[in-house]
Amino acid sequence: MADNMQLTIGHLYPDLLNLYGDRGNTITLQKRCAWRGITARVVSLGAGEDADFDDIDLFFMGGGQDFDQYTLMEDLGIGRAGSKASRLTAAIEADVPVLAICGGYQILGEYYVGHDGQRADFIGAIPVYTEAGEDRMIGNMVYEATALEGSPTVVGFENHAGRTRLREGAVPLGRVVKGFGNNGEDGTEGIRYRNVLATYSHGPLLPKNPAVADELIRLALQRRYPGAELPALDDALEWRAHDAMLKRLV
Amino acid sequence: MGFRTVCASIVCKSTYRLLRLMKRGGTSLPGKLALKVDPNYLNTLAKGVRTLVLTGTNGKTTSTHIVAQALENMGEQAFYNRSGANLIQGITTEFAIRSSIGGKPRYKLAVIECDEGALRRVCAAVDPEVLVVTNVFRDQLDRYGEVTHTLENIMAGVKNSPHATLCLNADDSMVASIADRVDNDVVFYGVDCEIYPERVEDLSDATHCIKCGAEYQYDYVTYAHLGGFKCPSCGYHRPAPKVAVERIVERRSDGCTVELRVDDDRSIVDLDVPASYDIYNCACVVAGLEAFKFPREQAFKAVSKFKHGFGRSEVFDIDGTRVRLMLMKNPAGCNQIINLLLNEPDQNMGIVCILNDQECDGTDVSWIYDAAWEAICAHKHEAICSGGRAEDMALRLKYAGMPSGGIRIMKDYDELIGELGRMDHNVTVVANYSAMLEFRAKVASALGLAGFWEG
Repeated sequence: MADNMQLTIGHLYPDLLNLYGDRGNTITLQKRCAWRGITARVVSLGAGEDADFDDIDLFFMGGGQDFDQYTLMEDLGIGRAGSKASRLTAAIEADVPVLAICGGYQILGEYYVGHDGQRADFIGAIPVYTEAGEDRMIGNMVYEATALEGSPTVVGFENHAGRTRLREGAVPLGRVVKGFGNNGEDGTEGIRYRNVLATYSHGPLLPKNPAVADELIRLALQRRYPGAELPALDDALEWRAHDAMLKRLV
Repeated sequence: MGFRTVCASIVCKSTYRLLRLMKRGGTSLPGKLALKVDPNYLNTLAKGVRTLVLTGTNGKTTSTHIVAQALENMGEQAFYNRSGANLIQGITTEFAIRSSIGGKPRYKLAVIECDEGALRRVCAAVDPEVLVVTNVFRDQLDRYGEVTHTLENIMAGVKNSPHATLCLNADDSMVASIADRVDNDVVFYGVDCEIYPERVEDLSDATHCIKCGAEYQYDYVTYAHLGGFKCPSCGYHRPAPKVAVERIVERRSDGCTVELRVDDDRSIVDLDVPASYDIYNCACVVAGLEAFKFPREQAFKAVSKFKHGFGRSEVFDIDGTRVRLMLMKNPAGCNQIINLLLNEPDQNMGIVCILNDQECDGTDVSWIYDAAWEAICAHKHEAICSGGRAEDMALRLKYAGMPSGGIRIMKDYDELIGELGRMDHNVTVVANYSAMLEFRAKVASALGLAGFWEG
């Protein structure tokens, strides 16, 4: 195992999908790597920016505004060979870990039907689709991440009008304990597809859920450095913040 | 005089008195009940009152106070929503208690701060003569949805203000774009230059052209997405402002001096507050008074003389410790406080952060990750966190680079005030809205300060 381990995080559309403090997730991944002596570099993959996706160990995609989501479709180039969308799909099939939140989650899915009945075709890298609902589903949330090792409890904040549904056989990331989740009806939250973890949970997600952060780092690290282990960190403050919200909600 | 109006007045005024007798604050309920009785009640009350409405994410409360005080100083019969209740119910109450039972107003002028979400209905009712829009930033997103929705809310209010002169922030590409969508007269205001020598990188809420989607270029940035923007693709650019802060003459820890211009009239103005948003407030007030047809000299004097307070760089002495209280509402405002701390001459200044998540604060506190605490944590290795979401604040500082051992969580305000009194250096307390109110009230009772809504 290499002494000086390095990871590259590809941050998709930090220029367009940057609402709700989601950049706290890349901050968290970087810090938790740094505290273990792993150098984590963040590469910005905004509109007009690109990189060799073979160099990316972990992708992150946050939430954004409706207005901006249309602007970025152009840059994704869905359906075009060699486009960001098709290379991202290939990376997902090659088990590269991806964290997608809210808008990013929806865009990885098949399509979105807006209030006006207009259908926007998305990347289709994960077996979900989304339809706009009447009311926004807003509030603190808790779910049990059953698709992760040890089923950790996750606390977060959701804010979405879209109702997302999983195709048959797809595995949700977790079961809603408090809040709405994917659609407010079937009790599922997010999806786990290969090493994609997609969820509606802002908060941001990772600082207060160190188990999820470390699972992503572990998946990325073990693809690049087979057999690499993640030493434990002092997460007292992280769990204190996690438990404070959990206690309030459950 | 309509029967419904009279009924609405009786309901409104008696509920208002009853609440006062019960020593309850509350200005929403009387207006709410009155509007149930007479849905056109506010229209009736506002008839014949010249009204200036202020809206936007940041700066509306302070700017409203400055405009109102300026009018008062000029001897005008003016009122404003002093309580800060800025939804249609509270605004209705404010008008009602200053009108006769028959709905006849006793004041000629009104200065009204209005929530963006309430603007559509309020403007339809009061038909403003002047409508000032400060800026659009991400703020309390869990209440409104997203930033462009806020702009659309404001747009709906503008469309209901056919007679209003609009005062628009030329430096905000979203706000300035309103001018092209309506036929109203417009007074643009703005800041012509950079404000801070050292400035954190803000996350911009408007990186791409609102008209064509291309990425903006900037001649200069004051903060966040504000500044000399232009779109290289469609040519949309910052309009030339009629009212402008032309240069920052001097910067001090407790204030600043700027040069203001309206057309070709210039004036050097001293402000008792130092932050970049204070400088914008000053420009928007002068624009508002210009559009309201008041003399320029009076407008210059008004911004110069205004005494801030109430959580806006207020200073207390707690057992010998100089404590400065600053309100943080959202990433943009918070980064301006961070800029202030970075440019602060007192190197030993300590920090306390108080974070709440009540309705009025926004229940989603994730925005703290969009503010550049990293810049602070590069210099400071200790902080105290308090408030209902103290743990989240503490965690933010940890991930911004502050050593865990330097971060203390102290939720009890009495304990915090005691601790502040024992410190041997000055402290800046940064708090969001309800946290600021709570902390201020605790300090007031500990120090015996007078009641805190001085206006």
